[in-house]
Amino acid sequence: MAIPYRAAFQFLANQWADELVVTSAGNSSQMWWDVTRDADRVFYLDASMSLSTLLASGVAYGVPQAKVWAFMGDGAFAMNPGMLMVERDLNLPNFTHVLLSNRVYGGTSDLDLPNKPINDYVGMAKSMGLERIWSFETLSQLEGDFDAAFRGNAEGHRFVVLELDPFTPDDHAIEEPPMDGPEIKFRFGRYIEKVYGARVFTGQF
Amino acid sequence: MTSREDIARCVADQAADCGVELVASLPDNWMAEVIRTFERDDRFRHVPVNREESAVGLCSGAFLSGTGSLAVMGASGLMTLIYAITKINYTYEIPMTILATLRGAPGDKAKFHVSNGLYFLPSLDAISLTYKVIDSADKITEIGRLYDHARTVSRPTVAILTRDVLRGEA
Repeated sequence: MAIPYRAAFQFLANQWADELVVTSAGNSSQMWWDVTRDADRVFYLDASMSLSTLLASGVAYGVPQAKVWAFMGDGAFAMNPGMLMVERDLNLPNFTHVLLSNRVYGGTSDLDLPNKPINDYVGMAKSMGLERIWSFETLSQLEGDFDAAFRGNAEGHRFVVLELDPFTPDDHAIEEPPMDGPEIKFRFGRYIEKVYGARVFTGQF
Repeated sequence: MTSREDIARCVADQAADCGVELVASLPDNWMAEVIRTFERDDRFRHVPVNREESAVGLCSGAFLSGTGSLAVMGASGLMTLIYAITKINYTYEIPMTILATLRGAPGDKAKFHVSNGLYFLPSLDAISLTYKVIDSADKITEIGRLYDHARTVSRPTVAILTRDVLRGEA
């Protein structure tokens, strides 16, 4: 069982309130841009090879009054699952790691992940001591438990696994976020300065 | 002659003067005392990471929240960061400062660091990564200048400490 990629993202976009969002390589950047067209509350981190949730953790650490969602494909996760050790150590209550499991390298022609049918991401997270873990295989499950997984009063870091279908051919045709890196940095950073009062670019010296 | 502990305290004081609050590290033997000092010092939140790339992610995100940060690692760890630095810090123009060791230099008896002696600094040059070698204790203040320079150029900078400095012998 798996959720169509677009349906999951459309649902999350509809629920999106004031959270800061960090996307990951290829698929999640494209789809989040397609369903939101937002470039201020989102840092589109493309092709980082597993660093989206740690970059987002740095944001969440520095702006504890913000809530932060970070998307990561399971292809990236497979490259650096030890990230969960660091996230568990930090245990940031304002941070949600959303693992997008479609069992393929979606940004590179949907080729298979190693050990594709067997990988147990929830089990991996439990083995590293994570306690607040959710896994959704249907849209109705996600709709039903969204508030608990994404919005409840967390005492620490959350890990949410979404079992998704790979992109459809139509999904693959949607555009990449049309911004260069510095524009993404400045829009995201200026938003954080404006809303949360952080001094990202000002007063650096 | 100063002690390793004195040197580590100087490094930590430099970091604090820069406004560093978050320190992400993965150890190198030579850097162990510096890392222990950050761990014990209440001015910092020290985060041990699983691999050096994770420090790049964490410190880059910290910058976007206005939080000062520092990544601490060995030369071998920095050698693994070519992709992360060029993809994240160069593409998005995000500053960060790294403390690393000058492994493989004369005086390093570890044969497994021969490759670092040959290729470490040339690799940094190849990606135009700004660095300074800190080969005497009086140059530790360069850490602050490198930290500021990273923000000026919106790129990473590296302070590379020698064995003799970290042992309090230079």
